Amino acid sequence: MINIQNLSFHYKKKSPLFNDFSLKVESGRIVGLLGKNGAGKSTLLHLISGLIQPKAGKINVNGFVPFERNPNYLADVYMVPEEFAFPPISISTYVKAFSPLYPNFDHHKLHDIFNEFELHPTSNLNKLSHGQRKKFLIAFALSTNCKMLVFDEPTNGLDIPSKSQFRKILVSSVTDEQLVVISTHQVKDIDTVIDTVVVIENGTIIYQENIDEIAQKLYFDLVPSLAGIENVLYHEQCTLGQRIIVPTSNGNESSIDLELLFNAIINKTI
Amino acid sequence: MNSNKFFSFSRFYQLLRNDILLNYKKYLLTIVGGFILGFILMFTQMPGYLFPGSIGFDATRYNILFIMCLFGLGAFVGSAFSELSSKIKMSNYLLMPASTFEKFLYQFVIRAVVGTVIFLFIFWLDTHIARIAVLSHMKNNLGQLAGPEKYNYIEKFHFSMLLIKSKYPTVTNWRLFDGIGSILLVFSLGMFLFSVKIFFRKLGLIKTGISLVAAIYLIMIIMMCFSHLYYPQTVGFNIANIDYKLSNGYDNSEIFLYSIAYIAPLFLLPLGYFKLKEKQL
Repeated sequence: MINIQNLSFHYKKKSPLFNDFSLKVESGRIVGLLGKNGAGKSTLLHLISGLIQPKAGKINVNGFVPFERNPNYLADVYMVPEEFAFPPISISTYVKAFSPLYPNFDHHKLHDIFNEFELHPTSNLNKLSHGQRKKFLIAFALSTNCKMLVFDEPTNGLDIPSKSQFRKILVSSVTDEQLVVISTHQVKDIDTVIDTVVVIENGTIIYQENIDEIAQKLYFDLVPSLAGIENVLYHEQCTLGQRIIVPTSNGNESSIDLELLFNAIINKTI
Repeated sequence: MNSNKFFSFSRFYQLLRNDILLNYKKYLLTIVGGFILGFILMFTQMPGYLFPGSIGFDATRYNILFIMCLFGLGAFVGSAFSELSSKIKMSNYLLMPASTFEKFLYQFVIRAVVGTVIFLFIFWLDTHIARIAVLSHMKNNLGQLAGPEKYNYIEKFHFSMLLIKSKYPTVTNWRLFDGIGSILLVFSLGMFLFSVKIFFRKLGLIKTGISLVAAIYLIMIIMMCFSHLYYPQTVGFNIANIDYKLSNGYDNSEIFLYSIAYIAPLFLLPLGYFKLKEKQL
């Protein structure tokens, strides 16, 4: 569980990024953390991981204060950063070196994910492509079974089949005790896996809703034109006509177009 | 207080194992490289010819070689915390499931403790191999040398040669103080390189070296200020010559130097630890 209260943060000689920011997310969720460039997504991930210290306010993750970097906390949090570097060693050596540090590490799960991602333990990490290395890191992160998994742009660099594999593996391997936070610009890559949407802008949460609640409130559709359609909350032109968001009526539900929803939120129409 | 929060043997063992698994090739190369460079240095420094009236290779020469080799050990100790050199590596390092104390201690154990033991062994080995290699080819200016004269010409190295002998033979009980003082002086310099490195990200070792020089200059400037304050006759940038001998036979400047050597690690190690604890991405 993440509980952030009245968080304030700014980098040295920079204007405040977060001011009186609060967020509460329960375990058992896959949270999509969305926002424009510079909104503070990565900084928020660094704050909840314990890599940086808030200037004011409280952060509590699973009963720990992240910046204290209690080893028991660190053993239960794994972050997949957007950029990463590996030593020039094989996958199996890396696993041998790092897996004992995570008490709940599941080698069978790792083996299964390797098969899914077509990764070979004998491969040298530095000779793999960026996408393959990212797949390895995702596989390792999921196998740690940490209570909190943090992904910063996890689908960057993955090819199309790998993106769908990532979604499949993520959904199948995450348990109710775990909390997954995914920060991304590629909203379409994660729209089927997340169950909570959090949008931040200028250091504040401008939208936080569960997918079920969104589906109950909003209806996403593709129409040839806007003629005769009332209560359009947001629309975007596309080659086939207009993608629209309207309030749900008669209990009808649609699949959520996360990109459209994000644009609607950013444009303050929702 | 939960001590597991600060130190756990199993976690510490896993950290050591992790470091060795990741860096064993680098360490092996460093050991082999250090051995070869040390051998070359000693082989070239030891005399290959015996001239009439020439002085043999004794403790003084070994001391000079040892001090030269200490720069290599300093570079190894100063290369600790290489994970803090980039944001990406630092992020991995800070999030490794271990306490800050364990992360600090394992670097200290590998760089300062194991590094020093291996360094001493390599130095000892190099001196002996270089001595045998040089002696086997040694000639005097007339012909081949033979017998005890040859073997005594280059003394066999032993570690007691490194201890600075007291200039005051009458104060034999203080000889140990001299030895420990010189060892602690080297240790203090090593701990400066080890701990201050944490403050810097890129080019850490070079910046640490520069800060060491700056610290020495700072001490000299303070001494100069005191000289002007208490000895108004001091001219310009000079430091007043106020040497005097204590009742135990020591110079006051020696006591000053040893005091710094004894006290510095007490500050430097906690300084490094707390800097690492507060380190942010």
